[in-house]
Amino acid sequence: MKKKYALYPGCMMPTEQYAYEISIRESLPILGIELVDVEGFSCCGEPLKSVNQLMTLYLSARNLAVAEKNKLDIFAPCAMCHLALSECKNLLGNSPEMKERINNLLSSEDLIYEGSTYIVNTVDLLHDHIGLETIKQHVKKPLTGFKFATHYGCHLIRPSEIGRPDNSENPQKMEEILKTLGAETTDYYPEKLDCCGGILQINLPESALTKTGQKLKAIQEYGFNGLVDVCPWCHRMYDARQTKAGETVATKLEVPVFYLTQLLGLAFGIKKEKLGLDLNLSPVDKIKLGEA
Amino acid sequence: MSIVDLTSMGEPQSEQRNEINQRLSKLKDEISDYCFQCAKCTSGCEAHKLLELEPHKMLALLKRGLIDEMINSDVIWTCMSCFKCRERCPQKVAPVEVLFALKNMAVASGKQIPGKYTAILQSVLSIGATQGIQEVTTRDNKTKRRSDLGLPNISKPSDLAKFQAGLMKIAVEKV
Repeated sequence: MKKKYALYPGCMMPTEQYAYEISIRESLPILGIELVDVEGFSCCGEPLKSVNQLMTLYLSARNLAVAEKNKLDIFAPCAMCHLALSECKNLLGNSPEMKERINNLLSSEDLIYEGSTYIVNTVDLLHDHIGLETIKQHVKKPLTGFKFATHYGCHLIRPSEIGRPDNSENPQKMEEILKTLGAETTDYYPEKLDCCGGILQINLPESALTKTGQKLKAIQEYGFNGLVDVCPWCHRMYDARQTKAGETVATKLEVPVFYLTQLLGLAFGIKKEKLGLDLNLSPVDKIKLGEA
Repeated sequence: MSIVDLTSMGEPQSEQRNEINQRLSKLKDEISDYCFQCAKCTSGCEAHKLLELEPHKMLALLKRGLIDEMINSDVIWTCMSCFKCRERCPQKVAPVEVLFALKNMAVASGKQIPGKYTAILQSVLSIGATQGIQEVTTRDNKTKRRSDLGLPNISKPSDLAKFQAGLMKIAVEKV
């Protein structure tokens, strides 16, 4: 059964983290997902929460209203966006007063927020809505022999009161997806829930890189074949900034970092070039995937 | 980066204390302020390990009403917003949300916004996104633009002037 979603790109993915967008657009249609490009989206507001939370709320409501106008549910591949949109839906659902205030302002853009849009991220879309059985049916080149560590991203799993795609202390959906693709994982490693530091890149970049470096160093020492993530902010830290992050922990880091959707595509037999693998700056060539 | 000792003789600022409570109750209806100083938040704090942020002490200062001390401190800007403190608090207190409120108040009072926050704000105001389209390099050093990769145009506000007007209005509103 075909299911339609508005692809809510956010800012980081469509302006810089192209590999995520390319691999999403390439691999999800195989699973019966129709991604609709909708005109009118803006930033979700999450990166501005420290500056003005009301602005964050407004921006999220406006994006949800854009999706509503198009009568579509939202697929938000970025963990930050997914949190901002979910928090907004939660708050405006509980506060008619705030909803009215926001709607008064949205009317100038001919938008109205009702709260009817459903919001998914990559992890729950694949695991809960498409399902492991369907994924399994499409695996042509299983990722046999490779063992991956996962990184969910803080914003994706917390705070659980508002409903998040996976468990806040013991997320396992990515592990289950990776196993379905034929790869090995581990339920837990001590640094699994550690933050990438991405937000601090805005005002304390050295500390941000140290966070990134510490986690990658541990993953390298444990001997994983690579790290898998689903958030463009986290991926930017682990992949593009890996060499610099290594300097903060005095280690030469060589951890291949993949978007989950890139591995999904490889397991489906899609060619590397079509999954944006040339854009990963970490040494993904270290492991020979999808060549058998 | 440190803030005043808890035994400071500073005068409590009840007006700001009320503002924080207002912000929290209007924006975060599912949290409480029944902190009993167990410090579980601090034990799991991502910024504590690296930058000495101690969320439970922020809550103690909040209870004492020593808000200016926190607003004037760089410490509030060390939070990585990992939400572990909020997730793990046995009392449903959310230090991360208190810190967001404090940072918002620091900005509203005209204090200098650290790092690239101003640039991000300006970018969202002018183009609707935190940054414009970037050129990237491949592993073998080739430059690529979005248009080279067969990706469609980026979605953006249909009427930028109206979008900006709405955002400017909300920017000056009180919570």
